[in-house]
Amino acid sequence: MHNDPTYQLLASFFFASVVGFLMQRSRFCNTAALRDAMLFKNYRNTKAMLALMIVGTLGFTAFMTVGAGHPIVFEVGINQFIGLFLFGIGMVLAGACTVSSWVKSGEGNVGTMWAVLFTFVGMFLFSLYWSAAYWPPASATMSQVPNLKGLQLGVANAATLQRQTGIPAIVFGLIQAAVLAAIYYKIVRYERATEQARADAQARAAAVAQTEEATAAAIGMPRGKQTAGNL
Amino acid sequence: MEFFKKTIDPVVAMVIVGLLDIFLFLVVGAWTVGGGETMITGLIAKGILGHRLDRIPFWVQDFKPTFAYWKMYISLGMFFGAFVGAVLSKEFYWRVPRHLNEWVMITIGGLLMGVGIRLAFICNVSTFFAITPQINLGGYLAVSGIIAGAWVGSWIYKKVLEA
Repeated sequence: MHNDPTYQLLASFFFASVVGFLMQRSRFCNTAALRDAMLFKNYRNTKAMLALMIVGTLGFTAFMTVGAGHPIVFEVGINQFIGLFLFGIGMVLAGACTVSSWVKSGEGNVGTMWAVLFTFVGMFLFSLYWSAAYWPPASATMSQVPNLKGLQLGVANAATLQRQTGIPAIVFGLIQAAVLAAIYYKIVRYERATEQARADAQARAAAVAQTEEATAAAIGMPRGKQTAGNL
Repeated sequence: MEFFKKTIDPVVAMVIVGLLDIFLFLVVGAWTVGGGETMITGLIAKGILGHRLDRIPFWVQDFKPTFAYWKMYISLGMFFGAFVGAVLSKEFYWRVPRHLNEWVMITIGGLLMGVGIRLAFICNVSTFFAITPQINLGGYLAVSGIIAGAWVGSWIYKKVLEA
């Protein structure tokens, strides 16, 4: 049943419809998760991204321990770093990543539709380059063995770790989830601290205003006039 | 409908997505978008170029255009789900960027995303929500790359906004 294409397509469409709906209603954006954290120190989306990664890590590695599921198998190489570096610049400039570009297009955003269109153009241009260079090895031409000359390191994921070390994949999953949870906790603590600082500043400002008012009343100057002067 | 107007807490929303992602992982494979977009590119190119597309080996060896590719339906599903969500909450309206520099940034950004995805084989979704949770070494390389890229992108974005 799992290999029946119709079933796969329906499962993908159903999954993605729910995801699209939830993303639209929660205003989650992967670009914002990175950009807002760097530019504005706003971690609303970063926390959601970490939560999803923690759930995914535990779930995927648990099933990979018993050999279930469909892990992505492809050759690890330096091209992952270069490619996602270009992607990272692109997503901030376009203001949308692959997900939010579809979600925002569904909301009627013409700008992100344009971004999707040019993503297609970029992919087509790359297909021309690849057809000349055959690098990096695409899925059909992957050998799955390390090829240092081609800057490829072979396959490496939780399943291969389990095979090589004998330690169940879930153990690596638990370690990674703990690291992600620690980052999450650090963000929560930072947010609490800034909130506290803001509340303190507000209390201080209120106290200053009260003193000013009292002084103004003492020297017989109407408070309204003073405010107008300040403006 | 009042119920649909409430914004969902993104952490709650993404935990639900995470559980669904595990379900999809068991059925076909974890959530990914880049491959589906490539297939849509291939189908569009096939529609425009016809048999001449076969002269480009990438579309013969690596991505033979076909409608039976599950990843493509993820893109369409997200578009559909978001459209339904926007209509139900009365948030659907046409938004058009006003300034020329926005259009230029979006165009360059889109091109960089397309090239980047194909160069790495993975998009940001598979980086964060598919291969890194599978403890893939490529995921760690990709996360470092996207953080460095987002940093450079944010710097450019700030410069453009200030100019």
